This record gives sequence, C-alpha cells and structure tokens, in this order.
Amino acid sequence: MEPIQLPEWTALGPALLLAATAIALFVVDSISPRSTNRNVLAGIATTGSLAALGVAVWFSMAGVGATGVDGFGVIELFDGQFVVDQLALYFMIIVAVVTALVVVASYDYMAGHTYQAEYYSLVLLAATGMATMAAANSLVTIFIALELASLPSYALVSILKDNRGSVEAGLKYFLVGALSSAIFLYGISLVYGATGYLQLGNIASVIEAGDAAAYDGLLGLGILFLIGGIAFKTASVPFHFWAPEAYEGAPAPISAFLSSASKAAGFVIAFRVFTEAFPLEATAGVIGIDWTVAFVALAIVTMTVGNFAAATQDNVKRMLAYSSIGHAGYALIGLAGLSADGGELVMGAAMMHLLVYGFMNTGAFLFVALAEHWGVGRTFEDYNGLGRRAPVACFALAIFMFSLAGIPPLGGFWSKYFLFSSALEAGLLVVAAALVINSALSLYYYSRLVKAVWIEDPVLERDALTQPTGLYAAIVVAAVMTVVLLPGFGPVVDTALEAAAAIV
Amino acid sequence: MCVGFEAPNVTEMNDWIAIGALALVGLLIPLGMMAVSYLIRPSVPETSKRATYESGEVPTGGTRVRFNIQYYMVALLFLVFDIETVLLFPWAVVYLDALESDAVSLFEIMGPMVVFVAILLLGLGWAWRNGAVQWAQTPRQVEADRDRP
Amino acid sequence: MEGVFDYAPAIALFPLVAFVVVLAFGTYLPKKGALPGIIATGGSLLLSLVMAAAVASGEAYHETLYEWAAGDATSATGVEGVSFTFGLLIDPLAALMLVIVSLVAFLVHVFSLGYMNAEGETGLPRYYAGLGLFTFSMLAFVVADNLLMAFIFFELVGLCSFLLIGFWFRTKSAPSAAKKAFLVTRFGDYFFLIGVVAIAATFGTVAFAGDDSFVTAAETAIDGGDQLFGFDAQTWVTITGLLVLGGVIGKSAQFPLHTWLPDAMEGPTTVSALIHAATMVAAGVYLVARMFGYYALSPTTLAIIAFVGGFTALFAATMGVVKDDIKQVLAYSTISQYGYMMLGLGVGGYVAGVFHLMNHAFFKALLFLGAGAVIVIMHHEQDMWKMGGLKDKAPVTYYTFLAGALALAGIIPFSGFWSKDEILYDALIVGLEEPVIMAAYAMGLLAVFFTGFYTFRMVFLTFHGEPRSEVAEDPHPVGWSIKAPLLVLGVLAVVAGIANLAPVAKLAGVDITFLEHWLDGEYGAIEGLTYTAYGELLAYETSYIGSEQVTVLVAAGLSLLLAFSGAGLAWLLYNKPEPVAHTERLGSAGKVIEDNYYQDEYQVWLAEGLTLPLARAADRFDQTVIDGIVDGTSTASLFGSDRIRRLQTGIVTNYAALIVTGVIVLLLVLGFLGGWF
Repeated sequence: MEPIQLPEWTALGPALLLAATAIALFVVDSISPRSTNRNVLAGIATTGSLAALGVAVWFSMAGVGATGVDGFGVIELFDGQFVVDQLALYFMIIVAVVTALVVVASYDYMAGHTYQAEYYSLVLLAATGMATMAAANSLVTIFIALELASLPSYALVSILKDNRGSVEAGLKYFLVGALSSAIFLYGISLVYGATGYLQLGNIASVIEAGDAAAYDGLLGLGILFLIGGIAFKTASVPFHFWAPEAYEGAPAPISAFLSSASKAAGFVIAFRVFTEAFPLEATAGVIGIDWTVAFVALAIVTMTVGNFAAATQDNVKRMLAYSSIGHAGYALIGLAGLSADGGELVMGAAMMHLLVYGFMNTGAFLFVALAEHWGVGRTFEDYNGLGRRAPVACFALAIFMFSLAGIPPLGGFWSKYFLFSSALEAGLLVVAAALVINSALSLYYYSRLVKAVWIEDPVLERDALTQPTGLYAAIVVAAVMTVVLLPGFGPVVDTALEAAAAIV
Repeated sequence: MCVGFEAPNVTEMNDWIAIGALALVGLLIPLGMMAVSYLIRPSVPETSKRATYESGEVPTGGTRVRFNIQYYMVALLFLVFDIETVLLFPWAVVYLDALESDAVSLFEIMGPMVVFVAILLLGLGWAWRNGAVQWAQTPRQVEADRDRP
Repeated sequence: MEGVFDYAPAIALFPLVAFVVVLAFGTYLPKKGALPGIIATGGSLLLSLVMAAAVASGEAYHETLYEWAAGDATSATGVEGVSFTFGLLIDPLAALMLVIVSLVAFLVHVFSLGYMNAEGETGLPRYYAGLGLFTFSMLAFVVADNLLMAFIFFELVGLCSFLLIGFWFRTKSAPSAAKKAFLVTRFGDYFFLIGVVAIAATFGTVAFAGDDSFVTAAETAIDGGDQLFGFDAQTWVTITGLLVLGGVIGKSAQFPLHTWLPDAMEGPTTVSALIHAATMVAAGVYLVARMFGYYALSPTTLAIIAFVGGFTALFAATMGVVKDDIKQVLAYSTISQYGYMMLGLGVGGYVAGVFHLMNHAFFKALLFLGAGAVIVIMHHEQDMWKMGGLKDKAPVTYYTFLAGALALAGIIPFSGFWSKDEILYDALIVGLEEPVIMAAYAMGLLAVFFTGFYTFRMVFLTFHGEPRSEVAEDPHPVGWSIKAPLLVLGVLAVVAGIANLAPVAKLAGVDITFLEHWLDGEYGAIEGLTYTAYGELLAYETSYIGSEQVTVLVAAGLSLLLAFSGAGLAWLLYNKPEPVAHTERLGSAGKVIEDNYYQDEYQVWLAEGLTLPLARAADRFDQTVIDGIVDGTSTASLFGSDRIRRLQTGIVTNYAALIVTGVIVLLLVLGFLGGWF
C-alpha cells in the first residue's frame, strides 16, 4: 500500500490534536461563558482525546518513527527540538488513553460543578504538555513541556474551590512543584554550562568528544538536579511528598490523571534524557560514576517508601497515592538496569509496566471517584460491603487491585515479571529482590481493599447505588484492558521493546 | 618547568581575589553608608515617624489590605502580552530578511506567528468573556452569578 | 496401508469425545450415555484392528505430534537440551495392546447396558463419562512414545480408577476404597515420577524408541563405562529402573503395594473387569514391556522383577483360597496372575509375559463379566456361600465362566495354560543357572496349585450343588447385552492360546509361534524394540534338563500336575450338593491368610503410626517456625510502615527541607563516589 504522504509537522499530530481540543473548549466557553453545556464540553474533550489516541496508534502501527525496514525513520522537527520516534508515540498513546478515560469518567464526577469548560480544557492542556514531553528532544523544550503539563495540574488539583482539602493540596503541590522546577532548571543551566548545548544529541556528542571533561562536578551536579526534576514529575523519593496530599485532595479523576499520565510523561523524559544526552560510558568517564547508581538507589528507596507507607493507610485514596509512588519505584528499574547489556530489555519492561499501569491505576482511582460520587466515605471501612451493591464495579476493582499487586494472569503480573527477569538479567539482584519483597507487601494492602468490598459486612445499611454511565464505562474499559492486555501482550512487548530500542 | 607551573596558578588566584574583593566592596559600601548615617544622624523620637507614610497623612488602616482580584487579572493578562512581545521582536527582526531569501515562503514565516497571536487573542477573548477585565458588575450580572458557587 | 497411521490419534480421541459428549449431554441421551461410549470404543476397536493389520503388513509408526516444552539443560550424558513431547509409537506390542484394550473396553460398555442400565442405577452419565475417560487414558498410555507422556496418562488412568471405584460414593466403603486405590498407587507413582526426572536428567531424553531414546543412551553409557551421578552407568540404570518400577508395582498391584486392589472391588463389577483385564493393572506390566530394553540392561532389576512377581503370584494365590466373596477371589487371582507376568518379564521371557498379558485380559475380563452376570442373577448377592446350583439356570454364564476358569487355572488346552506354561518354562531354564530365579520359579510353580484350587472352589460353590438361598433358587434373567460379551470372551479364552503354541512348536518342531514372530518384528517393527534385540541385551545364561524337549515336557507336566491336583482338591471338597467351609482346618494359618497376612494393618500402621507423627511434626514446624517468621516479617513491615507514614507531616516547609536534604545526601554520595570534590 502506498503510504499517505503527510507534511512532517503532522508527526506531532497527537499533541496538536490535544492542543486543538483545548482551544476548541476555550472557544466554546468564550461563546457562552454562562451556560455549562456539559454534554458538548465532555463530548468535545472525549472526541479530541480519542482522536489523539487514534492518530497515535495509527502512527505507531504505520511505522512512523520506526527505524526498521518498513518504518519511516525517526522524524526530527524544528531542527531537532522535537523528535517523533516509537518511544514518543508509545507514551503519547499512554497519555491519550488515560486522558480519554479520565475525561469520560469526569462527566459524572464533575456533574453540578461550575467550571466545566475550564476543567476540561485544563485537562487537555496538561495532556498536551505530557504528549509534548514525549516528543521533546532538547532540554528547553522539555522544560517548557514540563511546565505546560505542571501548571494546569496545579489548577486542576485545587479546582474544587470550596473544598479545603483540594485547595490545600493544590497549594502544596504548587510549592513543591516550584521548588522542583527551580532545581530542574538549575540542572539544565548547569548542563548547558558544562556542555554548551541544550539539545540532547549535541550534549551527548560534547560529552563523548571529551570536551566537558573539565567540568566533572558541574556536569554531575547538573545531572543530579535533572534527576531531581524528573523525580518530582514521577513522584519518586525524595520528591514524592506532594503526591499523597495532592492525590488525596484532588478530584479523584485528576488523581488518576496525575498518577498515571503525568507519571508516564515524567518517565519518558527520564528515558530520553538519560539515554540520548548522557551516554553511559562517556558520561561515567566525565563524572566518574555511573548515573544508574542514582537510579538504583532511587528505585529501591522509592518502592520501599511507597509500599511501606501504603501498608497502614486507612484512607483508600491515600493508599493508592502511596502505591503509585511504589510503582514509580518499579518503573525506575528501567533506568537503573541500563548499565548492563540487557538495558533495552529492562527499559522495555518498564515501559510495559507504565502502559499496564496506565489502565489499572487509572481504573483504581476511577473507582475511588465512583465511591466519592456515591458519597460512601473515604476509609477502608466505608467501602465495606460495596460488592453487594455494585458487583460490576467491585469486580473491576478486584481486577485492578490484583493486577497492581501483580497476581497472574493479569496484565500487572506480566509487566512486573518482565521487570523482574530483566532486572535479574541486568545483574541487579538487590533491585530484583526489593521488587519481589515490595510486591509481596503490596498484596497485603491491595487485598485489604478487595476484602473490604467483597467480604466485610457494611458498617451501616445503604440504599441502592446509582450507576453513572460515564464512570462505569471508563472503569469497565480500564478493567477489560487490564485483562485483555494479557493475551495481547505480544504486540505490547514488541512495541515497547522497539520503543526502547529506538533510544538505547 | 617549575616556574612555568607556578605562573598560571598565581593568575588564577588573582581572579578569585578580584571577585572576592568585588563582593567585599559591594557589601562594605552599603554597610558603611548605613553606619555613617547612624553615627551622624540626630536622635529625635516621635510617634509620627513610625507611621507607614511619613508624609503627615494619617493612615486609615493597616498595610495588609486585600486588593481587588482584578489587579491580578490585569497583571496576568499584561504578562501574556509581555511575553508575546518577546517573541514578536526577534521575529520582526528576521521577517524582512526571511521574505527576501527564497528559502521560506510567506506562509511559512507568517503562519506560526499568526497562530501564536491567534491563540493569545483567543485567551484574551476567553478571559474577557469570563469577566477578567470587568471592574464592576451590573445588578443583572450579580443576579446571574448567584448560582455560580 | 500407507497413511492409515494418520488416523492413529483417533483411537484414543474417540473415547475422549465420548467422554465430553456424555459429560455434557449424558442426561438427555437415550441409555444415559451408553451409546456414545459404545460407538467410540467400537470405532477405536476397528481402528486398532486396522493398525494391527498395518503392522502385520510390515509397517510401524513413530511420530512426534506436539512439543509442549523444551529446555536447554544439559544432561549428565552431555545431551544438549531436552524436549517434552506428545507422540505416537505403534509397534507390534502397542498394536496388540490397542486391540486388547479397545476390545475389552467395547465389551465392557456393551455389558454395562445390562449391568448398569437395566438395573436402574442413577448417575449413569457420570459412569459412562468415567469409562470414556478411562479408555482414552489407557489407549493414549499404550501409544505413548515417551516416558513422560506415559507417566501423564498413567496418572490419568489412576485418576479414572479413583472416580470409577468410588462410583457409589454414597456408601461408606466405596469412597474409602477409591481413596485407598488412589493413595497406594500414588505412593508408587511418586517413585515413578522421580524415575522419569532422573532418566530425563541423565540422558536428556525420555523417548522409548529411536536413536535418541534413553534405552540407546543407557546402552551407550554402559558400554562407555560412564560415571553417572557418582555411580557407574550400570548401577544408575538399575536405580532409575527401580524407581520407575515403583509405579509399576503400585499400578500392577505387586507386593507390597497390592492392598488397594481387593478393596477396589467396591466399584461396579464392569469397572473391575476393565481395571483388571485391560487398563489400570495392565498398565504397569505394559510399561515394563514397553521399556523392556532398559530393564534388560540391568540384570539386578530383572531379578527383582522376577522375584517380586513370583512371590506375589504365590502370596496372592494363597489369600484367594479363603475368600467367600466371588469378586474377592477374582481380585486375588488378578494380583497373582500379574505376578506371573512380572515373573515372565523378569526372567527375560518378553514374549511369554506379553502372551500372558493378552490371555489374561481375555479370561479375566470374561471371569469378571461372568461374575457380574452372576451378581445380576443373584440380585446383587456376592457371597458364594449363598449361591449354588446356578449351572442349570444360567447355562451361558456357566459355560463361559467355566471356560475362563479353566484358562485361569491353566488347564490344557485353554489359553491360560499356554502362556503360564511358557512363563514357567522360561523361568525354569534361567533358574537352572540363577538360584534367585529358581526360587521365584518355585513360588510361581507352587502358586499354580493354589490357583487351580481357588478357581474351582469358586466355580463349584457358585454353580454346582444345590441353591443355598432363596435368590439362588429364583435367579434374575439376563439379557443379550450380558450374554454377548461373555460369549465373545469365552471363545477367546478357549482359543487365544493358538497365538503362541511354544511347547508344541518345540516338541513337534513346527513353526507356529505366531506371537513370537509378531513381537520379533517379522512383520512391522521399530528397530530395537524386538524380541531378538532384547535377547541380545539380556545377560541371562540358560540351560536345560537333558535336552530342550525334555525340559519343556518337565515344565509343562509339573504345572499341569499341580493345576489338576488343585482343581481336584477343590472338586473333592466343594463339588457336593451341600458343601461346607473347610477354613477351620487351616488353623491359625487360615486366620493369617484371611486377614491378608496383616498387610493392611502394617500399612495402616505406617500411615498412622509413622507418617502421621511426622506430618504433625512438620505441621508444628510450619505453625511455629515458618509462621513465626512470616508473622514476624509482617509485624516488622507494618511497624516500619507506620514509621514511614510519619514522614508525611503535612507541612510544606518540612517537605521542602526533606527534599533539599535528599538532594544533598544524593549529591554527597554521588560526589564522593564520582570524586567531584
């Protein structure tokens, strides 16, 4: 088949579509600022995110950015400020999927809320930022994209203006975010100072040429600060402090959005920056140490802190927030394992995990959104006996929980299994052991939730629960995908490995 | 050999001394001025000197008053156009050269800027429509806002 | 006949389909699912006959159908990689066994129409589904081309026997008997499994036939004088062979794992017929025959097989003498007869063992089905002392049963005589050189007497004399579905001996040992799996009393004499109008025999006195040490969790401070490691 010839800039299609959707929402709201026609607004947002998803999947399938025989080669835009390869498309897919789920679920969750258009357009602007992060190929575009993703996020977290928790969470998120941005930016300036370039490929060539050898401490500090900025975005220790509070205070769909899509976007810049800009051996020659050491430490500490803190939480949303920190630790293995020859495998495994995580974690938070919609309360006890009233949603919840814990044969098991085996292959015994121990611990608190909804008796009798269409649809889709990803894991594995191979 | 090694080291040290001296001078000048004024000023304690505005006018309230939110709104909108200028300037500088060279077409050089300005205008329009530059509300508008929590 | 082997999988799959159909739709089918079973086993029988014809026309089949696991482990003999497959091996032995199994299964299905359907049993779909699965498992076991596949279906056979023995699960005894059968055979299978693993780990293959079979590999290893796992190759082959033999002893009910079989009589009699004649119990002996080349490499194993066989033959025969239940007598006769087969194989009489396996399949199926007929006639009374005089009331049953009895007792010219005589002859000629085999032979010979006695005691008590109960006077009529299988098997029991008239051949010098030629690959065969090939591997010396002819005459004469005297003694004691029990005359020995030599007791003691305390100790260890560690871990985790939780103070300035601290700590660590300062 003759490929359809498109201008080069359309390679950024998914991100552009998200941006266009956001603008369309502004236009609609400008035309009639007083009326909040939720159907139109949610419809536009859903259509836009689904269109972005479709285009991203289509590009990925068609081989845009693929380097193989049937691929079109990596597309560089704006003198290499952006790059569209399989990695970028893979993460655009994740972002678009989560955005679509969140937007659909928000239709019911945000019912009766004033700032409808603002809400949807902020979500899509943040998604635009995340999608742009996936394609950004220069430290400055990365920073701008990161801010584009972050600023709407702050507003979204505190969009429930009359809810003290929401506003407090938003402010905390903003303050920690400002600190982290400052650190990140400082890191960028240091790297620029040491190498004289902002574009990732040029930084790498300077380092490889040995021209940065004089600035070992400077470059090392810069890299460390970059890690800090990334750790903030991915909610990794020690930059994780915002996460439990922000996730708990934010509207639950936004928690889902931040913990899945935003985290994935953080990882894509981590993957790209550290593989493209700082080639392992050359960089180690300059700064005297493998930067993977930092990621090994971060991965272990992050998964341990996340899972241990999650174990004794009473509040479901907070438990999920900490579990999300734990999962960031798992995904960090993708960078920690790069030092060895199996780097491509281990990074592919981390990407698989992020995709599966995009479904199961979003689904879990959306269940919390559903519970908040019902108004059943926030603690484990409040969830007791929900299974009898809402079996479908609770069955989906069980799938999410078991998948998050990594129980076969669900999707979460396979991605964790790949992470584990590739970590072993990369020789990271300690990391692999930490992964196993933490997974075992995580089963404790995940199954606690399942036990609460299915086995425990409700504390007080409750009436029949409503079945909001949008929330239900999003939860069911997420559950189905969590399960379906298992037989369909072959293509996912291929895509993820291809995406990893694109940059390793 | 040995001498050649010493020499650059000394100059390097000199650089740092200069920087240190600059910092020291920068610190000493204001401190010295404050010290001198402290020494030579007369000491006449009076309550009106403690007032916020030492202009004979008696303040009507504390300094920590709430500003109308519209000040911030306008400031934010101003910032938007500030940034627009930052981008427009270099664009305008290269605009004519770009037109003369055949490397890029008119569409290519105009398009992005038009889109950029259009997006900003759209934002302005949205802010306007949502009341960002509205300093007072008619009773009808107040009525309509009632159901907006 | 080119290409007929493509249909070979269907032989096993027909009954599987019947199983699925009956399981799903059995309740709605006419005859509650009997018909699919009959059609399927009939189809299997036809195909088996086609296979036999194909083999007779000089072909054989060995094909791997599906590889379900492969690894790259290197075996002890240096073979790279091991793969586990499903494959078919149809050589003369398998073809013969296929015919036997499918024939018996077919007849049992037909018989069940009269035995189960006509008697208004409930749960028939479950019964026919079980039969279907049972037949499938056994047929698949027969055609298995490797040890692991054989093991899998060996286990399935065990599972099916569990299901069918426990068919009347509402009674107290049937579930218990089913459990016993399952557990005792499982005990043997445990060793089998270890044996499979050991063979796979040693030779890197589990194939029965071909150049890459473990038999060939073992032969090479022995010839090369290899050291395997710290033993010399011969010893290691013996060890692995004995491990596999564990499964055989359990399944074929050899001493000391025979205790499950008499209890298994709790199942429907048709099931007993199937288990004893063609499936479960036969599986053990068939396995020995299947991998005979491997055992032939190890004289020690063979001697053990022979001795266990001879001992079991005698041991079980003595117990059969005092039983009052018609099925119990048959049960002990089964154990005894399989002992003969083991003896035959153990002395290198591959043909003799297989010959007896075939004959026994026919006459034992006949006897069990006959007993089933008697039980139907007697309105489900099984005590022989309440029978009597059925001879005139049920002539078909009587004459067919008599034919089976004569074959079982080894009376010339019935089929049992020929095969049993050949086994004893093979044992004798080896025994003249090897004292251990001589002892085994002596026991086997002595068992002939007891066999004759208990067989005819059973015949006389059941059919002769006067009716000793009301039901015996007024028997229940039986239909064609019971009579037809009896007639078919009756004819076979009489004439099957023609297949291998070895004594006649030796005396008269006529070439009429058809089965020997069959198994020797004169028609079709797989290289290395022939009688001659096995004979070359065997290390036995043989000698004769005088000449070969004299030896044949002596052996045949001795066994015939003993058989006749046993039968005669039974005639003396029990062929009376009103026979009385003579057990008391045996005194304390009789008590011991009636209690089955306290085999059950000591095995129960082994379970309750030895295993149970061990299990309790393990449980205690688990409860205290393991659980303690686990609980401790969880307590520590939750405590740690509580601490980590408190990091989150809720105050942003603390967060900022912690973040900066974290970065500084990382900076210090990395800086020191990288030498930035």
